[in-house]
Amino acid sequence: MIEDQYRARHPRLVKAAAAIERQLREYLEGTPHIDRVSARAKSIDRFVVKANKNDENGFAKYSDPLSQIQDQVGARIVGFYLSDIEAISTVVKRYYRPIETKSLVPDTEWSFGYFGKHFILLMPTGLVDNRDEEPTPEFFELQIKTLFQHAWSEAEHDVGYKPGTNPLTSDEQRQLAFTAAQAWGADRIFEELSKR
Amino acid sequence: MPITHIHTYLVHPTKGSTNPPETGGTEVGRSGKMFDLLEGIYDRSETECDIAISFNHAASGNQQNDCRDLILTYLQGPTVRRGQHIAKRLADATTHRSHLGLLFLIAGQEGFDHKIVVSRFPADSGILAEESAGGLSVEFLEKVFMKSAKSYKSVMYRHRSFNTGFWEGKATDKQVNSLDISIPNYWIAEFLDSDFRTTSAAGTRRLANAIKEAGKKATRASVKSEIAAAATLATGFAGRKLSAKGFVRSLALSQAAQDAIYAELKSGVVDETFQFDAAEFGRVISYRSVELDNGGMLTAEVGDFDGVFQRQQLKDGDRIRFSTEGKIVSEKLGKAKQ
Repeated sequence: MIEDQYRARHPRLVKAAAAIERQLREYLEGTPHIDRVSARAKSIDRFVVKANKNDENGFAKYSDPLSQIQDQVGARIVGFYLSDIEAISTVVKRYYRPIETKSLVPDTEWSFGYFGKHFILLMPTGLVDNRDEEPTPEFFELQIKTLFQHAWSEAEHDVGYKPGTNPLTSDEQRQLAFTAAQAWGADRIFEELSKR
Repeated sequence: MPITHIHTYLVHPTKGSTNPPETGGTEVGRSGKMFDLLEGIYDRSETECDIAISFNHAASGNQQNDCRDLILTYLQGPTVRRGQHIAKRLADATTHRSHLGLLFLIAGQEGFDHKIVVSRFPADSGILAEESAGGLSVEFLEKVFMKSAKSYKSVMYRHRSFNTGFWEGKATDKQVNSLDISIPNYWIAEFLDSDFRTTSAAGTRRLANAIKEAGKKATRASVKSEIAAAATLATGFAGRKLSAKGFVRSLALSQAAQDAIYAELKSGVVDETFQFDAAEFGRVISYRSVELDNGGMLTAEVGDFDGVFQRQQLKDGDRIRFSTEGKIVSEKLGKAKQ
């Protein structure tokens, strides 16, 4: 049921993602140290998996996944250095209306893992034709990361969530944390070197 | 009948007040002349409220807004008490400059959608004249509330989901519509803790792109010239709150020029209000001018300048020869340079 509903709206999400990507590229023209700008519609498989997730108490996490899941369209901007993240964020805030802004960091100073800046933004008006019965989602997610944050999260997602494999052992998780710490350190060093 | 509840409150201006009076409120019945008036406001809000706005997120960055929370709490079980929190919030945002106001909360159900219209009528004074068999009696009234007054304000929210919806609304604020940038925007910015849905930069860039493309595509010289003039005059709108339609109309462009600009804008964005950003406009449309010592001046859009004018370095020192070719589409006389 939910899969059919999402499948029906998916072509519109693909169009919206393409339009968002074009728009972001236009807005970021002239902003230095941009490695890549991309946007995608969440795949049908991934949406269905997310829509059926349970919360920590075992109850369905989403009562209305089609309106509650806000990253059906997701965009990502990868910049070179840490200071570029703020410069890119400033451009983003100039053109889009956020309903959420988060800098994601590990829970404690003693742990290393995912770092990145996330926005939930209102879908701009006039981006896609809204005359069809099926509306475009009201929001999209935008992630802004450095090259090292991006590289780490992509590789971590690949090895950490591989379908059909056993969960990572404690030691393997520690190894991932070690690579996250190295990426964090590399960002710091390149930030300093970029200011020479 | 889509309207389910109506509550009203007398809102005193208490911003900065150390001892604000209690905000009194009552329920309004769903019949009679008063109801007919409010039902009209509720129904017309779909078209009358034409400024697209959205709530700001919390200072922490979380997906939360105090005013949205109050509206959602009220809508999920409308009571005088719950509405009173909204009235108090409005009182706290109202200065004495805005005087006393009468607030109406009109909640309803439209199919699967929950809907609320929040309206503030400003207080005024008036004279009640009543004819009787023997003549006429007149009475001075101090607290008269008139929807037609200049500072009448309203906002409408409609969505099916209390959970993820109600981030966007449509407002009307006659003070904003006046284009007077000196008027503090307490209704949208302070009371609703919201901003225009379209940011200054996004709205301005969209308009600038439309003007630029319309100018390029126009085939008639007079239309091209009008559009170029509109681009030149645009910087005078700096800081003004307007829509693309408002911009075009205020310049009294010909219908052909208006149509050319509208054709470059997607439906639904022509009426969207934003604050004009002159710097952003200049990022899209800017001209490069070169002045020569023989009195000649060459002007073209920055990105096109080198393509439009061919430059040739002459043997004679620093002298340059520019050449270009095209059809004359307009010719102007201007004031001599001082």
